[in-house]
Amino acid sequence: MIPLSYFLILSIILFVLGAIAFFVKRDLITQFMAIEIMFSAANLAILAFAKAATSLDGQIIVFFVITVAAAEAAVGLAIILLIFRQKKTIKSEDIKLMKG
Amino acid sequence: MNTFYALFPLLIIVAASLLVMILEVFFKREDRSYLAYLSLLFLIASAAACVKFWNKGYSYFDGNLSLSNLSLFFCSILIVATFLVILISMKYLTLHSANYGEYYALLLFALSGMIIMVSSSDLIVIFLGLEVLSLSSYALAGLRREDEKSNEAAIKYFLLGSFASAFLVFGIAFLYGATQATAIPSIIEGLKTGSSIGTLGLVGLGLVVIGFGFKVAVVPFHMWTPDVYQGAPTPITAFFSVGPKAVGFAVLLRIFIPYFQDALESQLLFGLLWIIAAITMIAGNLIALRQTNVKRILAYSSIAHAGYLMVAILAKDILGLVFYLTAYLFMNIGAFAAVIALGKKDHEYLELEDYRGIGFRYPWIGATFAVFLISLAGFPPTGGFLAKFYVFSAAVRQGLVSLVIIGVLASLVSVFYYLRIIIYMYMREPAYEVDINYDNPSLFLALFLCLYGVLQLGIFPGNILVLIRQAVAALPFL
Repeated sequence: MIPLSYFLILSIILFVLGAIAFFVKRDLITQFMAIEIMFSAANLAILAFAKAATSLDGQIIVFFVITVAAAEAAVGLAIILLIFRQKKTIKSEDIKLMKG
Repeated sequence: MNTFYALFPLLIIVAASLLVMILEVFFKREDRSYLAYLSLLFLIASAAACVKFWNKGYSYFDGNLSLSNLSLFFCSILIVATFLVILISMKYLTLHSANYGEYYALLLFALSGMIIMVSSSDLIVIFLGLEVLSLSSYALAGLRREDEKSNEAAIKYFLLGSFASAFLVFGIAFLYGATQATAIPSIIEGLKTGSSIGTLGLVGLGLVVIGFGFKVAVVPFHMWTPDVYQGAPTPITAFFSVGPKAVGFAVLLRIFIPYFQDALESQLLFGLLWIIAAITMIAGNLIALRQTNVKRILAYSSIAHAGYLMVAILAKDILGLVFYLTAYLFMNIGAFAAVIALGKKDHEYLELEDYRGIGFRYPWIGATFAVFLISLAGFPPTGGFLAKFYVFSAAVRQGLVSLVIIGVLASLVSVFYYLRIIIYMYMREPAYEVDINYDNPSLFLALFLCLYGVLQLGIFPGNILVLIRQAVAALPFL
């Protein structure tokens, strides 16, 4: 059986990679995917903990998180689509009407 | 005591939002204000349910949804906030051709999310409530679809909001791993008794702080705030500056005040929150000095106020925190209402230059705006003064003297930019005509209610303090 710490290290690596990608990438869809990776990393951690403690709570939590991420994707992609229709670009450096 | 009644305030709001969504199809565009009246009616019903359940302590779903007095008090101030926001947006929506029926439905959904958050003590349920609130908020920020600024606000809010949610989920994962629990009391209990799980729990709590830090807009997690506040429709900005902040602090209060009571390892987190509070008060007020857009000034002012509220958390002063949030609700929504009052068809006056001579041209609007600004700056005899006074004096009693000194100096700085608006209104000659749409009774009702609230809290705070004391007294963890 794979020890808990392996899962945790993997999930932390995934989370950090997602967070880095969010700041480094300059494309709205890629940034959004980075956030999805962070959610998946959190799900992996929850599942690993649930397995280690042999409790079902964690698996139920993951279902909630997946549902929320899906709802977020619906709203987010709609907003990105709206931006694309208006500006014909989804590069985040082109979205800078407000500064100060 | 398990009773179905505990669901009532929430169910009424959800029913209202579904009803508004269905009816929206049947109304013509110019008739949509009926939906606003309907929403107001349901809000009153929900508030009545809150009042009726006071001191009853109903709970449902195994205590996952419990109406303690504190939850009920938070529910009531959130309902009042939404009520005022609907009042100030009724005419605004027609003037700025954004009269979508979904507006009220989304606003009510956001309110239901906030009610879930304040009446639950389970982190997963709180997370779900937060997402209900956030998803509606993203859509509300981008409500003016043809306005590029509104879309920009929506995408910025969406990206940073979901980024913060990911941190929150990761934090919940760690807390779950450390204590095998998701209910806040059991988590705190587990963190205090467990010995080997210290690091895991600390990291978890830290991540939760980051997640909620984004939502309540404390420095260094504030970078989205000014842009979103500027781009979103003004009534929605008023809503953002009050609603999410109040619920965010309601949750932080539930987690951190019991945790700070006597936890052995809380020093590290206490220091973290101390630094966050200090730099929020300093940076929020300093950056506000060089803004010229009134909405941005109010955005940075709301960041600074998050810093003062954080001081209340550190001082373990629930009474002060709740009183501060109540006063903040009236003065901030009032200030935004005054900004909305200075608008006409398809145009808002948002630059500081537009405010030259407003105080003489529109004496009533100018005078009420000045009162709200004075209250935000923290002068007597307004609610803002007493709120700051309670929080800072509680902090001194807890020995946080240096933090209080930073807070007082920061609020001295804030006086400068609040008074600058007043100076523009009363001491500068107008450069050009500012004509506004006067035909807006609901907005003036909201202005009056906010003015009443600010003065009542400032001059006769007794009634509300009695209620807040009852709310705090019934807390299970103290």
